[in-house]
Amino acid sequence: MTISANWYLLLAAVLFCFGLVGVVSRRNILVVFMCVELMLNAANLTFLTFARQQGTMNGHAIAFFVIAVAAAEAAVGLAIVIAVFRTRGTLWMDEVSTLKN
Amino acid sequence: MPTVSSQDVLALAPVAILALGGIALLLSEVFLTSGKRGYQAFLTVLFAATAGLTAFGATPGKVFAGQATADAFSAFVTITVSFGLALAALVSASWLDARGAERGEFYALSLFAASGMSLLGMASDLLVAFVAIEIMSLSTYALAAWMRRGKKPAEAAFKYFILGAFSSALLLYGTSLVFGATGSTLLSDVARGPLQAGGSALLSAGLVLVAAGLAFKVAAVPFHVWTPDVYEGAPTPVTAFMAAGVKTAAFAILARTVLAAYAATGGAADSAFPRVLAVLALLTMLVGNLFAVPQRSVKRMLAYSSIAHAGYLLLGVLAAGLPAVRERALSGVLFYLASYTASAIGAFAVVGALESNGQPGDEPADAWDLERLAGLSRRRPLLAFAMTVFMLSLAGVPPTAGFVAKLLVFQAAVGAQYLALAVVGVLTSALGAYYYLRVVVYMYMRPAAEGEPAGVTSPVLSVALAVAVAAVVVLGIGSEPVASLARAAAAVVR
Repeated sequence: MTISANWYLLLAAVLFCFGLVGVVSRRNILVVFMCVELMLNAANLTFLTFARQQGTMNGHAIAFFVIAVAAAEAAVGLAIVIAVFRTRGTLWMDEVSTLKN
Repeated sequence: MPTVSSQDVLALAPVAILALGGIALLLSEVFLTSGKRGYQAFLTVLFAATAGLTAFGATPGKVFAGQATADAFSAFVTITVSFGLALAALVSASWLDARGAERGEFYALSLFAASGMSLLGMASDLLVAFVAIEIMSLSTYALAAWMRRGKKPAEAAFKYFILGAFSSALLLYGTSLVFGATGSTLLSDVARGPLQAGGSALLSAGLVLVAAGLAFKVAAVPFHVWTPDVYEGAPTPVTAFMAAGVKTAAFAILARTVLAAYAATGGAADSAFPRVLAVLALLTMLVGNLFAVPQRSVKRMLAYSSIAHAGYLLLGVLAAGLPAVRERALSGVLFYLASYTASAIGAFAVVGALESNGQPGDEPADAWDLERLAGLSRRRPLLAFAMTVFMLSLAGVPPTAGFVAKLLVFQAAVGAQYLALAVVGVLTSALGAYYYLRVVVYMYMRPAAEGEPAGVTSPVLSVALAVAVAAVVVLGIGSEPVASLARAAAAVVR
């Protein structure tokens, strides 16, 4: 039994929405960060599905670029998270708010 | 199977020079253990100048199977970015030196960011744009966190990172949908529209997400909430570089993407895409200017003003949708970016020179208060004069660069029949004059507070400010050479 490509696209869209909602609503910095990664991987899944559907290798190559970029982003991002934790001792967004109108 | 020719590699020379310069400075940190680092800013200026000159002499053409374009447009972007990088490096040298925080990584990161910006000016493929945006953004996240022991810089870097990563994810998911609809990420293929008849909804959804991701980068309302916090919290020279460089590069790719999107969605003025862009431009002009008015902190005021300027630039990009005025509108946008680069970096440089030299983790709340500028004309007459020039230029008062830039953009908007938006632009500029001139009033008409320190001063900062003032005045009075360069750059973009 083969699963139609549309289900993969749907799964990717659902993952993307989870990530989107998570970034907006979650208050823990690390969880927000994971939600961003979820969004990136949803994009990856979409690329792969379309590439498979259209029978080209381009989408597969793009996924590798995205993985590399996501790794670099994680490195810089986690360093910044550590810097925040050192100055505040907390990872809750609501407590990291000196900069306000 | 496309092959890589020598022309492909040569076209990337400006990007390569900036990136290799960054690597050289990184390595110098490993091998040179001397405490003196003043030369690094000059090396950065040298690399920036070389990159700018190389871009100027590049042979135009599409490279890497159309994924990047080396043309007058990308050259203009690279030169503007290099100019901004050189100015920001000089400003950083004096700012970091005063705080004992000067290290080669700073300039290396600036160079890496500039290489991303330069690549972004060339990108004519959504994936290349994504990679270039990430090169630019990852470097600027790290730069924003430079004074990482301070509470504000760490927080600013964190906010910038989360929202930047979020916007990149939007852009990437949008790209994947566009890829699904058109079978390609090339902007030239996107412009041809969907592969199958039913793909237009998918394509529109993808383009909207791509545009939203880019709108975050240019700080367009309602995607602007991060801007004031990040601009205020980041080290001042970094803010200057971010405001000028990131804006220039992001508008370059936004213009190319919007033109492709216009072509893909039929290009008719009554389609939804220009209307959405018009609403964005309107909101950005209004919100940026209205929120700048009550700000006491000059740095935060400049952050909101940067949002307002994004609104005027969006108006130019919107007008570029009409083929009849495309060249005028795009050349106006490019000229605007060049003039904003000089004015904004200059203004942030003055703010940086005056801000208090607080201990990390213990920054005073009023570090950038208007009061700190009171009586500046008596304490530091030249600094006050420079700030006046930058304020007049940002406000768009003749004979400065900002005036010519606004004139070009508004003329294009009128030519494209966006009369109401042009009127809003002029009115909000008048409102802008209020908060820019308030700074001038404080400098010239208010007595200085007792014991107010004179601020940092150094030869490099003086050079940077002199160059910025000269650029603002020259672009204002003798705008023709740069304006004709901008026209030549705009003419090649389809």
